[in-house]
Amino acid sequence: MSIELICITCPAGCALQVEQEGGALRVRGNACKRGLAFAQAELTHPTRSLTSTVRTSFAQAPALPVRSDRELPKGRIPAVMRFLARITVEERLGCGDVVAALPGGEGNIIATSDLLKEI
Amino acid sequence: MQAYYDVIVIGAGPAGLAAAIAAAKTGASVLLAEREKRLGGILKQCVHDGFGLVRYEEKLSGPEYAQRFIDALRASTAEVLTQAFVTKIEKNGGRFRLALTTARGMLRLEAKALVFATGCRERSARQIALHGTRPAGVFTAGTAQYYTNVLGQMPARRCVILGSGDIGLIMARRLTLEGARVLGVYEAKPVPSGLPRNIAQCLRDFDIPLHVSHTVTRVFGRERLEAVEVAQVDDNMRPISGTGRKIDCDALILSVGLIPENELAEGLGVTLDPVTQGPICDQNGQTETDGVFACGNAVHVNDLVDYVSESGENAGAAAARYAARERRFALVKTDAQFLYAVPQRIDLAAQPEAVTVYFRTREERGKTRLRVCCNGQVLLQKTFRQLRPPEMERVVLPLKGAALQPSHGIELTMEGLL
Amino acid sequence: MAGIQKLNRLLAKEFGGRISAVPERGHLALRGESADWGEIVRAGHLAAKHNKSAGVVNDVHFTGQASAPTRLPCETDCSLEGASPDVLVIGGGVVGCAVARELSRSRLDILLVEKECDVALHASSRNDGMIHPGLDIRKGSQKYDYNKRGNRMFGKTCAALGVDFTQNGQYLCFPKKMPFFVLYLSLPYWKWMGIPAKVLSRRQLFAREPGLHPALHCALYFPSAGSVCPYGLTIAYAENAIENGAALSLSTAATGMELRDGRITAVHTNRGTVHPRVVVNAAGVFSEEIAAMAGDRFFSIHPRRGTNSICDKKVSDRIARNHCSTLLTGSSKGAHTKGGGVIRTVHDNLLIGPNAEESPEKEDFSTRRESIDAIFAKQAKTSEKLRQGQIITYFTGIRAATFEEDFVVRPGLYTENIIHCAGIQSPGLTAAPALGVAVAKMAVQALEAQSGETVQPNAAFNPVRAPIPSCARLDDAAREALIRENPDYGVILCRCEEISRGEILAALRRPLPCGTVDGVKRRVRAGMGRCQGGFCGPQVAQLIAQEKGIPLARVRKSGEGSELLFGETKAALREEGEDA
Repeated sequence: MSIELICITCPAGCALQVEQEGGALRVRGNACKRGLAFAQAELTHPTRSLTSTVRTSFAQAPALPVRSDRELPKGRIPAVMRFLARITVEERLGCGDVVAALPGGEGNIIATSDLLKEI
Repeated sequence: MQAYYDVIVIGAGPAGLAAAIAAAKTGASVLLAEREKRLGGILKQCVHDGFGLVRYEEKLSGPEYAQRFIDALRASTAEVLTQAFVTKIEKNGGRFRLALTTARGMLRLEAKALVFATGCRERSARQIALHGTRPAGVFTAGTAQYYTNVLGQMPARRCVILGSGDIGLIMARRLTLEGARVLGVYEAKPVPSGLPRNIAQCLRDFDIPLHVSHTVTRVFGRERLEAVEVAQVDDNMRPISGTGRKIDCDALILSVGLIPENELAEGLGVTLDPVTQGPICDQNGQTETDGVFACGNAVHVNDLVDYVSESGENAGAAAARYAARERRFALVKTDAQFLYAVPQRIDLAAQPEAVTVYFRTREERGKTRLRVCCNGQVLLQKTFRQLRPPEMERVVLPLKGAALQPSHGIELTMEGLL
Repeated sequence: MAGIQKLNRLLAKEFGGRISAVPERGHLALRGESADWGEIVRAGHLAAKHNKSAGVVNDVHFTGQASAPTRLPCETDCSLEGASPDVLVIGGGVVGCAVARELSRSRLDILLVEKECDVALHASSRNDGMIHPGLDIRKGSQKYDYNKRGNRMFGKTCAALGVDFTQNGQYLCFPKKMPFFVLYLSLPYWKWMGIPAKVLSRRQLFAREPGLHPALHCALYFPSAGSVCPYGLTIAYAENAIENGAALSLSTAATGMELRDGRITAVHTNRGTVHPRVVVNAAGVFSEEIAAMAGDRFFSIHPRRGTNSICDKKVSDRIARNHCSTLLTGSSKGAHTKGGGVIRTVHDNLLIGPNAEESPEKEDFSTRRESIDAIFAKQAKTSEKLRQGQIITYFTGIRAATFEEDFVVRPGLYTENIIHCAGIQSPGLTAAPALGVAVAKMAVQALEAQSGETVQPNAAFNPVRAPIPSCARLDDAAREALIRENPDYGVILCRCEEISRGEILAALRRPLPCGTVDGVKRRVRAGMGRCQGGFCGPQVAQLIAQEKGIPLARVRKSGEGSELLFGETKAALREEGEDA
């Protein structure tokens, strides 16, 4: 059985045809080996990076851009969004600073802007 | 704050940041003028990642990508002026004269070269001939993104997205994650406009349907949007009658194209390409107007910020080179025996090997020797049987090997012979 | 009576017995039913042509799709309960506001009510802003009289009220290859009409308007044509009225009246019952409903839609420097509009339109693609450089036309203490200054007749209104001085129209309350440009929230229910619960 995927690793967006033969995967359409890795991950444990904003206590900058510092299991994204919904940043964090640690060792949520330092 | 800069860059988005850094690196005096309060342009509101994959092989968010350039800018010699709005530009001799409106008053500055990094604006509902009522709830994708990411406010609860440009796709995912329902993305063309990876990670991941060859034909609702009518379109993108369907929704988000913003440049007479709607440029980003450079989305709409930065660096460096290309001259000096000699000066940039000089004597003379020297070195001696004011004389000066400098030019002298 | 019989014969012949005319006390009523709105309008016009009484009222039942009910404000309170103004003006369009301002010259208690959340939300903002010389008006009509007087008052009125006004004339162009001296034959007619006019040869025309269609051959030039911002003028009138003591209540609708002995004793509104001595009916398309409440319905309004497009101002100079229209022979006969034209607005945009479409809907301001296609096809004859791609926005307005196609400016026919200023369609904007003066005078006369006492002048009256500074239009020195005084005038928020934060804040602090994004746009033009508020919209919304002390989610685009935002992001997620 052939599965069609679009590789989201880079802007090239290769259209992959993935066939499962026994335990092995056969991937076609990938321009580089990252496509192979993507296909393997996508079929076994798909992951996504998460970007969003969190609420702040600063009226001039009510939302601070954040992201996960690593890829998260795709299925965990809604729960992590609910986690972010309960955060309010009250310090002047800068780009790269840890906003919160995700429960269960899934990594950190980090700020991606110096916004709060500039206001 | 000085009144003259070699290069003034207008706009501090990714193109302008890169241009200012590159121009300053050459030693030019540079000013980056930005109308908003903060640097970074549209990247400030692009909280999603995927920026810098080409340049840094990293998946940065928009603000992170911008921050790298802002840091480099701060480390450079370029000066920065924010909340400064360029109101007027005139060309005055070889310089540009700019008027800027700022909270500290009107500033008047001059520059040898200008770099337009003015980005683009979004095509609005009216520019795609959207008809029906005019309620709240119809947003361009960028405006919806500003509300969501900068102000932390929801512009939609149940929305339809018209157009499959990347910002529209990104907003589909963004709003879905924030708890809104995106009912579908409608694209009038038969193929989506956005990158395939965005179709995959912004729509398919969230089961948001994409309807190609469909458009929104009408909006309903007097105060707030209540519904839109969507219909299939034919090959000419005209709605097919009978295919219309009304969808209840409270927001319509438009991702229907970007228009390079060049009204300032147009005011200087810069010619635009009717297809790109950006200036016609050479490989340096110089427009058809001398000394005016352009880069980034003001030239044409890019898919990736990495290439916007690249074009900014190119145009910024070229603008600095242009500004530095001060024309240098060596003067042609004559003694009192001459009525005149032309040319009066020699352009050194052209590195001429020989120059023809025409002259007349002031008074009638007998046998005369003409001597041409440069910094003590005799370039040419020529004897004339007689010289009379009504007769123009011509000599070709060999300049190869001559140490011509602006400080010491060529001296022409006459010496009477018996 | 012979007239009625003849009219009924004509109606029977034309409409197969579905519509007939019946004389009422002092007016004529049309009875019957029809599923065709066009038929009802034609019957009304036919009746008006043969009518000798005060007016034609349309009681023909329209069996087609029922029109939407009048939109009324939802808010209710008692803020006006028990008020007893000398004059109640119903309707905050340009005419109602002009009447209120002219009344404020007298020592009177004046109340103006407007059902929408701002003044000038109907026809007074949805028109082309042209000040007409009065070319196609019948001499002897009310329109003719008020247009002529209004036109002459415009310069002075706008100067006092701080409203931009230009008077650069209008070119009526002729495509036929006729010898241009034929146009001289029309000059005695224009002289008789009291309209200054000049004949221009092709060479003269193109020297002034090089962007016109090359097939145009000659033109008549009417120097008294001009341009004004119609909502700007309305707002200025309202603000000056308030400055001089008039009260203005927005989102306030007259919902009913009580009458006794042929007099209005009470007017019910959603903010309480008001007991005015005199009522001015300036309710636009709803002036018939107001007349009916007052027991004084002797005319009918048949709404007529008109759509206009506005083009990017950067193309203006290469198309038309002034108003230009083309006389199209044989195509617009019988239509109640000249057929539109290319209008140069006071803000230097080109406005293309309007068209004219009869409709039973009084508040359907939606636009249709076909209207704009048709208008552009027509105006291509004026300039072949016009393109739909130059459009930045478009809008539809609704003219409040009577079947007589004339203004109704008079005291009530059956009710004593009402003054009608109804049926105001083009050239209502031009006529507004004159209508304001005339109606105010009628109201004062009615008050004096009631009490037997002379109305005293308002000694404190100041006709001058200081406008919001327009930074982009100031010279450098004045702009510099303004910024030094208030740095907010140096922070540009609307990049297309070059509008500063200072101007936007000033708009939110005027005597006439303004707290919506569209309200700011009408006052200082933030969002009027080519990006249509894409960039400045959120900035304006933030300033409104800050200035009014309300959360962003309560900032509205326009009326009730037009909030822009639904509250904080992630609010829905917070409701979903606690897992992570």
